[in-house]
Amino acid sequence: MARLSDSMLYDQVVKVTYVYLGPAADRFIDRQVQNHLNKPPQQLSREDLLSLIDWIRVAVSLLTEDSEIVEEYAAQLHQLAAPHDKAKKA
Amino acid sequence: MTNNRKSTPPAILSPLRFCLLLAVVYTTLLFVLPANKIAMQAYHLAPTQYHILLFVVVLPLILIWFAAFYSYAKLDQYAQLISKTPEGGDFVELARGVRWLAWGLAIPSLLSIILNSIANSRPGFLSTALITTNYFSLLIPLIGFSIIRKGAQGLTEHAKLRLNSGSAQTIMIVFVVLGVAFCFFIFRQLNLHSFSSSNNPYFLPVWLLISTIIVPYLYAWFSGLLAAHDLALYSKHVSGVFYRQAMRLLAGGTVAVIASSVAIQCLRSVIPRSGHLSLSATLVIINIIYVIMAAGFIMLSIGANKLKKIEEI
Repeated sequence: MARLSDSMLYDQVVKVTYVYLGPAADRFIDRQVQNHLNKPPQQLSREDLLSLIDWIRVAVSLLTEDSEIVEEYAAQLHQLAAPHDKAKKA
Repeated sequence: MTNNRKSTPPAILSPLRFCLLLAVVYTTLLFVLPANKIAMQAYHLAPTQYHILLFVVVLPLILIWFAAFYSYAKLDQYAQLISKTPEGGDFVELARGVRWLAWGLAIPSLLSIILNSIANSRPGFLSTALITTNYFSLLIPLIGFSIIRKGAQGLTEHAKLRLNSGSAQTIMIVFVVLGVAFCFFIFRQLNLHSFSSSNNPYFLPVWLLISTIIVPYLYAWFSGLLAAHDLALYSKHVSGVFYRQAMRLLAGGTVAVIASSVAIQCLRSVIPRSGHLSLSATLVIINIIYVIMAAGFIMLSIGANKLKKIEEI
């Protein structure tokens, strides 16, 4: 059950990332999780998210100088990090 | 940022090294091969002045070679980086197509200067020189456009994008106008009373000119138009804010390269090669088109670089 949930979280992170990186989204998330969190992407857990978002913010800042869009992306990922009920309200 | 893939500096050096080699060989030939007497007489030049003038005239072309080889190297690096992804194969095709276009700039120029030099000393060889140069100038971009079209088509298919009726109509109108104008200007220079006569600036019988020059050119340009359309469509509709920005540069660059290549080919066919230096309004127009082509290759490089960066961070 936990594994399914982790996998769903990974899918949600990729889905949010797809808006910004298109077809490169899953590869980008895979690299961030593998290189910075040192775990297989499918095992991404809610506890890892804040750390992952920090790494993603750094990485995406290398692609653009538009900090607004970086923060918008990070904010969407933060919604996934929020507890489930809060996320629902949001 | 951590990069789990090996960086590949030799891959970028290799095409540029080739280009440098071609440029050195070409420049050496420009100065070493005997000056054309007709051109020297026409412009009242001494042999040294002729060689310097020739160098100045071809310098923009040599600079474009570098832009072209650099852009195909960059695109190739990106394509190799994503070769195992669903759209990877399409980018590999695009890179291959751009590589053909880059080589297609250099090879006919080199061939032309060597063959024209032989024709200078053996006037009977002029027709062979011009025919060979004309066929090489056609063949390499024809292959390049066809490969680019295959890659561009693959990208739109992966993104489930289709040619709509409005775009199809626009492509048809552009193609018909271009094709009819091209045929009109070519036919004006031919003796249409005899289909077997090769008494024309192309040194080919009319039937052979139509079947092996005009038809393949029209096919190449149609492929180019379709490729340009597919790339523009993909870059407009693909998901991902950053990906789309990079893709627009790459697509815009490729479209500019295709359009300028078509324009050069059209001009070179409509105003046949003389086999020697010719300072005319055509040269000015060709240089303006070269500027567009250079801008296209630079845009393509920047786009490919941005896409590559997305895969590396």
